[in-house]
Amino acid sequence: MKKKKQKVNVLYYVVVGAMALLFFNFHTVSFLKGIFYSFTDWKGYGDWNYVGLRNYLHMFEDVDTKNAYLFTFQFTVITTVLVNMISLILACALNAKIKFKNTIKAFYFLPYMLGNVIVGFIFNYIFANLIPTLGKACGIQILSTNILGTNHAMWGIIVVTVWTACAFNTLIYIAGLQAIDIDVYEAADLDGASGWKRFRYITFPLLAPSFTINMVLTAKGFLMVYDQIMAMTEGGPGTTTTSIAVLIYKKGFGGGQFAYQSANAVTLFVIVVAISIFQLRILEKREEQIR
Amino acid sequence: MKRVKNIQREKYNMPITIMLIAGIVITILLPLYMSVMIAIKVPTDMNNVLALPKQLRLMNFVDAWKMTEYPRKFFNTAFITVINLGITLISNSFVAYAITRNRKKSKFFEIMYYYFLSAMFIPFSVIMLPLVVQANTFHLDNVVGITFLYVIFGLPMNTFLYCGAVKGIPEALDEAAMIDGARPLQTFWYVIFPVLKPTTATVAILSFMWTWNDFTMPLVLLSEQSQQTLQLAQYVFKKQFSIDYNLAFASYLLVLLPVLVVYVFCQKWITNGVVAGAVK
Amino acid sequence: MKRKVLLALSAILLGGMLLTGCGKSNEIELFSSKAENKEILQQLVDEFNAEHPETKIVISAPADAGTVLKTRLAKNDIPDILALGGDNNYTEVQSAGVLEDLSAENFTSQVQESYLQMVYDVNADKEQAAYGIPYATNASGVLYNVDKFNELGLTIPTTWDEFLDVIKKIEAAGEQPFVLTYKDNWTGLCAWNSMAPDLQPEGFTDARQAGTTTFAETHQEIADKYLEIISHGQEDFMGTTYDDGNKAFANGQGVMMINGNWAINQFKTANADFNVDMFAFPASNDSAENYVTSGVDVLFAASKDSKNLDVAKEFISFMLEEENAKTYIDNQFAFSAVKGVEQEETTVAGVKSDIAAGKVANFPDHYYPAGFDLASLLSEYSLNYVNGMDNIENQKSFLANCDEKYDIANVD
Repeated sequence: MKKKKQKVNVLYYVVVGAMALLFFNFHTVSFLKGIFYSFTDWKGYGDWNYVGLRNYLHMFEDVDTKNAYLFTFQFTVITTVLVNMISLILACALNAKIKFKNTIKAFYFLPYMLGNVIVGFIFNYIFANLIPTLGKACGIQILSTNILGTNHAMWGIIVVTVWTACAFNTLIYIAGLQAIDIDVYEAADLDGASGWKRFRYITFPLLAPSFTINMVLTAKGFLMVYDQIMAMTEGGPGTTTTSIAVLIYKKGFGGGQFAYQSANAVTLFVIVVAISIFQLRILEKREEQIR
Repeated sequence: MKRVKNIQREKYNMPITIMLIAGIVITILLPLYMSVMIAIKVPTDMNNVLALPKQLRLMNFVDAWKMTEYPRKFFNTAFITVINLGITLISNSFVAYAITRNRKKSKFFEIMYYYFLSAMFIPFSVIMLPLVVQANTFHLDNVVGITFLYVIFGLPMNTFLYCGAVKGIPEALDEAAMIDGARPLQTFWYVIFPVLKPTTATVAILSFMWTWNDFTMPLVLLSEQSQQTLQLAQYVFKKQFSIDYNLAFASYLLVLLPVLVVYVFCQKWITNGVVAGAVK
Repeated sequence: MKRKVLLALSAILLGGMLLTGCGKSNEIELFSSKAENKEILQQLVDEFNAEHPETKIVISAPADAGTVLKTRLAKNDIPDILALGGDNNYTEVQSAGVLEDLSAENFTSQVQESYLQMVYDVNADKEQAAYGIPYATNASGVLYNVDKFNELGLTIPTTWDEFLDVIKKIEAAGEQPFVLTYKDNWTGLCAWNSMAPDLQPEGFTDARQAGTTTFAETHQEIADKYLEIISHGQEDFMGTTYDDGNKAFANGQGVMMINGNWAINQFKTANADFNVDMFAFPASNDSAENYVTSGVDVLFAASKDSKNLDVAKEFISFMLEEENAKTYIDNQFAFSAVKGVEQEETTVAGVKSDIAAGKVANFPDHYYPAGFDLASLLSEYSLNYVNGMDNIENQKSFLANCDEKYDIANVD
């Protein structure tokens, strides 16, 4: 009853309403238009017709789309695991009693600041020229070819992604580690737990919240992988490194499949929502169990 | 305090320190060192890219500067970043304030809260194709237009961050100001906004990093050469650098430099802000 | 203080708007899909600009120009002047109905009929109208290191068997026959484009479009020979970029490259003394069938809704002036579509007579639908080969893929 009486200043309505309207016009309308296009055969210009579900049905037969999804999922899983593992190790190391702590930390965070495209170009050179030269000099067969020209090209992209992504995750793990009460460790020391055991039974469970955040944030980001691929392989060789985002761009604009790739984008949206919900559920449960 | 520090100093874990430093040298400094070496060499001196140059050539930077029209691209990128920052910080924090304070009073704000929040689930690649059409209808395919879009597209994330922070400010604070006769804008600007400083720092850093380093949105929207950003220009000129790696790397370094300078001066602030943003 | 900040912000905002708003009014955009000719184009544009101080032509030549161009079509943001290849990118733009019909212009009569016909052929429904004015033409085939050929005592092969013989001799001498640059997957198309006109059945393009024939039925020999070629490439050819490969070739690595005249400019930049020539790819054992693959490398088109249509036409006319056309082809080692302008460089002497005699075939991929990404398929085919996949199986799946992707692209 009392709530009804409280008056809300008009200004709030105006500002929030205006922003919401703008947001609706550019974000939501774009999104809805995308859904609309997915039921047409529009090329992005010229005439168009309704085609019903044809674009969606076509997705199931199209090898390119299937490969893009396979690549993206594979890439996301491997990169998420690697990034979190390396970050966790780095964070533990950085949290130890080390000299020049702040300087070292500052250096490890540096890759986060650099744009993906340029980092991609720099590594492109490393993979294409530096590593093969070194590989040949040392007589190591595997290293003497440009990995981006083989069907292990994905690993080249993974290396670069891990390189840039670890910085952010490490920071969050460090924040998580610092929140752990020192008394807990002292108690553990008394109980004789140390090394791996201490990590497994004390540190890791206490880090669970940071772990949840990192898994969700990183996985979602990697599903959209785009910049690095455009800078390094443009989806090749063949279509081995074509991610969903790259496919949408390249075929949606360049390949005259505007409408079809709109359907792909809508599908991607559904998948992202499903994964996000699923991930949160699972991780929340695990967090509870560990506790 | 001092005593504790002294004790710590005696127990430095040197093996880990050395390993971490080695890690920096190999994974982070080496690629950067290589980039610098290539950028200051002549094309004929590329047999061992890691060696110091036989002949120093700083003209590479001048050539790259001219070829990519660096000043123009820098201005574009800086314009987008700075204007977006200014407008985002003021508008988004106010929107979050308005929503948080009125959610319980009016259904409208409750709906808005969930509307913005749910938009976070839509990745950019999903709206990439239709956005190009939509943005063009409103002639937003230029620096000013894209800045505007950044402000709008940042709303969900920033509202989310700011709402959390506003919730933590006791309402008694604004009520006290209102009783003193302050209008909503005044209350917000003089009472709330200063308290939000830590969150503002976080939002500022995340927006800066996003707009400065973004590649996808400029790629699809900014086709005119005079409108392009630094990141996009590197991609556009990729073919024209061709076999002249020295020129290419000089150009890359010119793009990395502003960020490195900002990082050196604001490193503490940046790392703290990023953590605060993620942990929320 | 805060008010000042706000004031400063709005001032910058306003300034930016003015800056971005201005500049545009008298700027005319020349969109070029080639990166190799940027310098010479710029030089000619500068001359034109100097003569026309009231307007300024600005070149934009982005990477991945085809995709960028189509993105701009979706935005209905058509550049004033377009310099495109006579390929399916042109077809896309032309079929969108945004180009001016230049058939009635005076300068159109300066251009050789045969090349105009090539442009008509890629118009939607083969409409006989000059929406694009052919300017320079190219030649794709085998580029070879002349000094090494002489050193090894090799003669120019005119049939496939002779070609194999040459390859054998080169290998026997411990040299690498080919430098291939498949990290950039479009370069994989060159060998295909050189062989397909010689070996595919007559009328294949139309028949395939109508669906009365397939790649699997007709392109086995081409696919076979394609594998033969890449089996003589250097190690790690899948990881070699076009730029790196050109540089290495110009500096003496390998003996031959399968590419086009457009690469010569880069060779010369990497090594000015490099002695290079070209010959038609001898895909068939009947030397009469071995055409030089030549197509319209650059054509000029103008947006019909451009505010500066007059200037655009004037510019095209300027470019077609004999002197300018000559400057262009000399720099590019290309051939001119302008009547009476001839290429006299020795570096392409090997194909000049064929071109003069009209023993040329257009690039087959210019006739494929735009969505048909053959370069990726060839790259995958080559990758499978490198990975040691069984050749017969590889070839089967490759040709099946070609048909499948072609059908998809043909419909959409």
